Amino acid sequence: MKLNYIISLLIFIPVLIIQTTVVPFISIGEVVPDLILILLVYYSITEGQIYGTVLGFIYGFCFDLVTGSLLGSAMIAKTVSGFVAGYFSSENKVDIYLMFFNFGLIVFLAALIDQIIYSFFSAFDISSNIFLIFFQNAFLPAFYTALLGMIIIIFVPKKRIL
Amino acid sequence: MIRFLNSFWYNFKEYIILTALVILSLFIISQNHSPAVQRIRAIAFGTFATVTSVVSDVVNIKSLKKENIQLRETNAKLMLQLSKLREAAIINDELKGLLSLKDTSGYPLIPASVVSKSLSRVQGTITLNVGSSDSVKVGMPVITDKGLVGIIYSVSGNYSIARTLQNVDLKITVKDERTRENGLMKWNGENLVIINVPKTFQIKKGDRVVTSELSSLVPFPIPVGVAAGSNNVETGIFNEIKVIPFVDFAKVENVFILKTVASKEIDSLELNFLKKFQ
Repeated sequence: MKLNYIISLLIFIPVLIIQTTVVPFISIGEVVPDLILILLVYYSITEGQIYGTVLGFIYGFCFDLVTGSLLGSAMIAKTVSGFVAGYFSSENKVDIYLMFFNFGLIVFLAALIDQIIYSFFSAFDISSNIFLIFFQNAFLPAFYTALLGMIIIIFVPKKRIL
Repeated sequence: MIRFLNSFWYNFKEYIILTALVILSLFIISQNHSPAVQRIRAIAFGTFATVTSVVSDVVNIKSLKKENIQLRETNAKLMLQLSKLREAAIINDELKGLLSLKDTSGYPLIPASVVSKSLSRVQGTITLNVGSSDSVKVGMPVITDKGLVGIIYSVSGNYSIARTLQNVDLKITVKDERTRENGLMKWNGENLVIINVPKTFQIKKGDRVVTSELSSLVPFPIPVGVAAGSNNVETGIFNEIKVIPFVDFAKVENVFILKTVASKEIDSLELNFLKKFQ
C-alpha cells in the first residue's frame, strides 16, 4: 500500500509538469483538460475509495502549492472527486470500469464535481449567470477531460503497470 | 463502547476520512494569508518552477522560431515609429520643461519568460522565471507589448507568480482613454468587466481602456483592452462594461515586469489623511 502511494506520487510529478507546461497549448478557448484528475480517477478505480480520497487530497495540495491558486480549493475539490470516483472501485468490475466509454463517463462525473467545487471556492461573482458559469467552468472542462481520459485509457495496458 | 466505535469505523471509515480531509482543506483555505503559508508556497513553487522552466524551454523552442520572425517584423515597425516618437519626445520635453512637469515614464523593465500557467477560468496565474534576486517584488505590473497581463502576487528567490487579469481576486482601477472616466475592473468568471459604471458615463463600444492613475497597483496608463459594450442593468443606476483584453493570456510566453510598486509616499500621505478623519 505504501509503495503504491509512492508510485502514484512519483507519476504525479511529471503529470503536474505536463499539466502546467504542455496542456495549456491544447486548451480550446480557455477550456483546459485536467490530466491530474484522469490519473486520480484511474487510481480511485483501481485502488479503492479511501486511497482515491487521500490521493485527491495530496494531489490537490501539491497543485495549489505550485500554481498559486487559493490554497485548499483544488485540495477540497480533488478530495471529493477522488471519493466519488472511488465508488467505482469494485474489485471484480475494475476491468469493466476501465473500459473506454465507462472510464470516460466516470472521469466526466469526477471532473464535473471537481470543477464545480473548485469554481465555488474561487468565489466568482454570484451576480453572474450561474448556468452559463456552470457550463463554461464545469461542463466544458469536464467534457474535454473525459475525452482526453478516453484517449489515454486506450494506451494503458490492461495489466496494471501504473 | 470500543466495539461500537470499531464497528462504526468499519462501516463508515470512507465517510470519516472524507469529512476529516474536507475539514482540513477548509482550515487550510482559512489560513491562506498567513505568512507561514506564503513562505511554504514560495519555496514550493520556486522549486517546482526550476523543473518546469527546463520543460518549458524545450516546448517553446518551436514557437520561438515563429515568434522570432514576428518580433523582427515588429522591430522594424517600431524602429520607424521610434524615429517619429523621438521627434515628438524632443518637443514634449521642451513643453514639459516649460510646464515644470515631472517625467514619470522612465520605469525600468525586467524581461521574463512564462515557465508554467494555471489557466483556470477563475484563478488565472502564470509562473515567471524571475524572482527577488532580479529585484521583482509583490505588486509589480506584468506587461507585454500589447498591454497589461497581471500583477506579481508571490515571489521566491528566482521565480514569481503573477495573477493574470483573468483572476477573480485581481481588481484594477481603469479609465476610458477617450472620456477619462474611471471605474473598477475585475474578472467575473466569464468576462473582464468594469463594474458600477454610472449610466451617465459616456463609455462606448470600441473605446480603449487603460489603467488609471488612481490605481494603487499600476500608477500610470497601460493599455488593458477595448470596451465591448455594456451589460445593461434594467434597474438601478449602474452599468457593467465588458472589456476585451489586448493580451491573449493563453498564448503569452514572454513578458516584462515593470520595476515599480505603488508609491509609498502616496500611500503614507493617504494614510495620514485617513487618520485625520478617524
